[in-house]
Order: sequence, then structure tokens, then C-alpha cells
Amino acid sequence: MDIIPFGFDIISSMAIFVLAVLGLGVIASMMGIFNFAHGEFLLVGAYTVYLAQANNIPTWVGMLAAPVVVGAIALVLERIIIRRFYATPVAAMISTFAIGLVLREGVRLLLGGQFYSVDAPLIGSFFVGNVAFSKWRVAIIVATVLVLGVSYLLLSRTRIGLYVRASLENPSLARASAISTDRVYAATFAFGAALAGLAGGLMVPIYSLNADIGVPFLIKSFLAVMVGGMGSLGGSAIGAAFVGAFAAGLPWAIKPVVADVLVFVLAILFVKYRPSGLSSPWRR
Amino acid sequence: MSKDSIELLKSHSRRLFMQRAALFSGMIALGGGSYILNPKKAWGADPIKVGFALDLTGPISVQGIPCANVAKMLVEDINAKGGIIGRPLQMYLEDTATNESLAVTRVSKLVQKDDVDVVIGGITSSMRNAIKDTIINRGKKLYLYPQLYEGKECTQYLFCTGPTPAQQCDTFVPWLMKNTGKKFYFAGADYIWPHTLDAYAKKVVEENGGEIVGEEYSPVDQVEYGATVHEIMTKGTDVVFTTLIPPGLPVFVKQLYEAGFRKRGGRIASVLYDESTMTISSPAETEGLASCLDYFRAVDDPFSKELFEKYTKLFGTKNPLSAAGGSTGTYRAVKLWEAAVKESGSIKRDAVAAALDHAKISEGPGGGAEFVPGTRHVRMNMYTAVAKDGKFDIVDKSNGPVAPKECLPK
Repeated sequence: MDIIPFGFDIISSMAIFVLAVLGLGVIASMMGIFNFAHGEFLLVGAYTVYLAQANNIPTWVGMLAAPVVVGAIALVLERIIIRRFYATPVAAMISTFAIGLVLREGVRLLLGGQFYSVDAPLIGSFFVGNVAFSKWRVAIIVATVLVLGVSYLLLSRTRIGLYVRASLENPSLARASAISTDRVYAATFAFGAALAGLAGGLMVPIYSLNADIGVPFLIKSFLAVMVGGMGSLGGSAIGAAFVGAFAAGLPWAIKPVVADVLVFVLAILFVKYRPSGLSSPWRR
Repeated sequence: MSKDSIELLKSHSRRLFMQRAALFSGMIALGGGSYILNPKKAWGADPIKVGFALDLTGPISVQGIPCANVAKMLVEDINAKGGIIGRPLQMYLEDTATNESLAVTRVSKLVQKDDVDVVIGGITSSMRNAIKDTIINRGKKLYLYPQLYEGKECTQYLFCTGPTPAQQCDTFVPWLMKNTGKKFYFAGADYIWPHTLDAYAKKVVEENGGEIVGEEYSPVDQVEYGATVHEIMTKGTDVVFTTLIPPGLPVFVKQLYEAGFRKRGGRIASVLYDESTMTISSPAETEGLASCLDYFRAVDDPFSKELFEKYTKLFGTKNPLSAAGGSTGTYRAVKLWEAAVKESGSIKRDAVAAALDHAKISEGPGGGAEFVPGTRHVRMNMYTAVAKDGKFDIVDKSNGPVAPKECLPK
């Protein structure tokens, strides 16, 4: 009898995590950079939706604008900062950390440190028998499936995707074949950031806007990318589903405080015994 | 974006700027998060140095900024009325930046280099514990702590002006049982305040013949409460007494709302909820939520109303005067200390502490307040309020001041 709310809880948590991790996964797997500003890209996406609401623009418009805004900001950041560090991934990581800090504290100043609730385009829940289904969580599940599908098709079935994969696997050959790897990297970074912006925009009605909205997701997103395997986007998504399922599922069985730690213990054990990640059997 | 909304945004950010500017106007920034407010005009006597250690940046800044606003307002007021014992006040403000190790350094500067005569501040318990030794033992200064907290702080020379568990539960829990039901579920964050407060609240529930149907503590940054909400719903809970804090709190409130908890007659109780917390969830989700604090905007004594208006005129609405963030406690700390200095006629620590022991103010946010002799905690009025359309309505006022019941002689 409890199976349905339990299942819904797990699936919606998986969807939220997959959505949140995808942008990080794109940048990590396609460019080899761990983007420490990922949580803040989520935040800026969320803030865009809040701005829309504060100006009496429907929030769904803000949600559509969020990826555009974040993608554009990321493009500028890539051009002036990140591209200087491709040769040194550690320096690149630290530069993204600095960017993240500036974005987060900037938004905190704008918000005066307060929390603000943002209304979802769909409010409340529908009931099937006694079981409540949050409408917005259902919408997020649908959105996640769509975003996953579109990203997959874009990267595996289009010419752009081919360029991206070529630039990742053999940059010199790609350049020799008249692919501007420079532009491909910029576009990939912007695309990953735009996904994060979209995720932030879609998630903010659930969490209420605050400057630290992205922080809890950052560490768990890294965990997801590690579990899934760094080299593939599919792996990141599977890793995120894994982390999301355990994060929501374990508290049903054991104390939440223990569950929080157990997710990490399981992930560490997993990475220890399967260092190349979940997705390795499916990769070349 | 239309031209109108761009204008709106501009005015929005200008207002934000003005709000911070109101706090810092007239202050001298010394860099590194230190500020001084010098008394205006020339005085014949040396100033009394009042130190404030507050979080002006970082996550707790949302509570620290209104405290600093209140402090500045009171210092300027006192100076305009001729100071204390013929001497003006000089305000030293240190930003403790929601960072305990940094705070210890800054508070050391406050008590050693600036040599202030008293320190008021610290918002979280972890901050108070980090800085109290520096202030009291190394600095030999008096320390006043303004925030509601879990109690059990009985250090000599440390005076607490915020509500204790007894004050937030003794009238509140019986009201909840009478007006909602007897089945309580405790959902809290896993740190000292929720555990200690809940232990007290559970005792009051049981003494009044209520039932505790469940209790759960989650990591402070947990943002999924599906399992807890399901348990609450299946156990027929009447009252969810929550000590969760943001960022988990709004998610929990939303999930309870979506599960139909209120529709079924349930009520959320949270003693951390005040007007400034109201923006965190939508009005539909907080409808019926009950809280118990020493002040709400709806309190209708003329002094509280006047104080709120004055504050809002000076500092705007973004970081309002509200009880759960410690700003009403800051008011009491400054005014009770002022009363003690006046009585003792000196600023020597032992003399002021002896006068503070029974210090009393007849007016304040929510009413007057007085220290219970020998306990270094304050007796004051407590109000129970219920959220309606995103605003708090007072539904119950304590029958006279409520005792803090802390540090009683054994």
C-alpha cells in the first residue's frame, strides 16, 4: 500500500537529480573540467525565474528564459576566463570555484540574504485514492525525460554532436579537419550551463530561492558523475539517478541522519570497486 | 522586458542599496568588516564603547543585519537624549561573517585593541560558544546574547535576552493541544537547538496528556522529506512541531501542503517562524501555521507599533524588525544594559553585572522585560500567532510575563 508513494518519491527525486546533474555531466564528460560553479549556474537559473515572478511575468516564461540567461553568462565567462585554463584542469577547476563564489555572494546581496518562495506554474497536487501526487513534481519528471532525450539526440545524432565528440576524442585531428575546437568548447560549456540554468529554473518552486540553493547539489552532483563514470553523459545521468534514488529512498527505511552518510559510503565503495563507473560496460 | 519593468528593477536595486546604506550611513568603515559609529557633535566626556559582533555577511546575515540596524538606531537615540551617565556611546560593529574562526579573531580585536566596555551579539549558539571565552575570560568584558536559543547557558557575565524553550513552549503547547489536537510529531534538524527544544516541548506535551506519535531528525541541508511526510500522514498526526531550518524548512512545508496535511485538519507549529520567514513559503502553504515569540508585528501596544514604524522608516522592509532573528533581543540587550549602567553609575564589569542581575525595562517590542535575579535570563511576554494569508494574527497572549526557567539555583 505504501509502495506507490514510495515509488513516486524515488522517481521524482531521481528526476530532480538527473536534471540537476546533467549540465555538470555535459561539461565534465565533454570537456574534462569539473565545474565548481555548477551550483551557482543552478542558482542564476532560479534567480531568473524569481525576477520574472517579482515583475509579474508568468514563471513559465522565466523558466524558458533561465537557460538562455545562464547560457549567455557562461559563454562570456568561458571567453574571458575558462578558456585560458584548458591546458591545466586544476587551475580551471579553481577558476570555476572563484566564479561560483562571486555569483553566489552577488545574488545573496541582491536578495538581502532572504528566502523567497517561487510559485510553480502548476500548484498543489492531484489525488489518486489516498495518494497525493505533486503536480509540479510530475511536471519535472516529464521535463527530465524530455531534456535527456533532446540532449542525447543532439549529441549522438546531429552534426554538432559529432563535432563535440570529435573535439573531445582527438582535438588535433578535429582541428586538422576544419573544426574550430575553440568554438566547440565554448558552445559545449554554454550548453552545459544552459542545462544547469533550466534545472535551476524548474527546481526553484520546490526549494524556495536562496543564495545557497545550489550548494547541496554540488557535492552530490560530483558524486553522481564519479559513480556514473567521468567519460560519458549517459553515465552521469545513471549516476545521478542512483544518487537521487538512494537520497530519497534510504530515509524510508533508516534514520535520515544515517541515510545521508550511507549514500556517500555506498558511493565510495562503488567507486573503489568500480573505478571507471557504472556506465563502463556500455562504453567502447 | 518592457520599459516599465526595467524601471521597476532599477528602483528595486536602488532600494536594496539604500537599505544597506541606511545601516552604514554615518559609520566609518575601517576595512576587514569593522565599522565605527562616532557620537555626533562635541562631548565633554569620553565615550562609552559598545561592541557588536554580528553576522553581516554569509547565510546568517539575514538575521544579523536587522540586529545591527536596531543597535544603530538605539545608539543614535541614546546619544540624542544625552548619552548614559553623561557620556556618549561609540558603537563598534564587527562582521562575524557566519564564520566562527574568523569571528574569534574579530572579537579579540574588539575586546583587546578597541577595548570596548561591553559586547552584544553572536546569533547562532555555535557562534556564542566560539566567542564567549574571548569576551568573558580573555577580554574581561560583559557579554549579552540576543537570540532565542536552546537554554542551558549559565556562564557568569553572560546575559541572555532572547526566549528560552520554556518561554516558547509553556503557553504554546497547551494552546496547540486545545486548538488542534493531542497527537504530536516532532520533525527537526539534527543539531543542538532542535534536540534540546524538542526534549522540553515533549515534556510539556506529556504533562498535558498529549501523545507523541513520532520524532525524526534530518541533516541540516537535507532537501527531501517524502519519507517523513508519509509517516506523519499515516500516523494521524494533529500537530507537526518542526524545528527544521532553511533550506529544508520550505521543502518540508510544501511537501506537507501537497500531501493534504492541513486539509485533513493538521497544523504546523514552528517557533522559528516570524514575519521575515514568511517569504520563504507561499501563503497557501503556511496558512494555519502557528508560532510563539516575544513579538509579532500584529502586537497592538502603541510602543511596539511606534518602534516598528520607526525602524521601517529608517531601514526599509527587506530586513524587517522581527523576533526570530534576534533583533528584538538586541533591543532588550541594549536597553537593559543602559538601565544597568544608569543604576550602577559606572561601566566597570562587576558593577554593571550586579545591576543587570535585576535590570528592568518597562517598554520594548512586545512589552517590557526584566532579568530574573540570579539567572541572567529575561522574563517577558510571549505571543502565539497563526499565519493567515501570509500574515501573522495574534491568537493568544501570555497571562503576564513568562519565566525563562533557566539557570535556576539548585
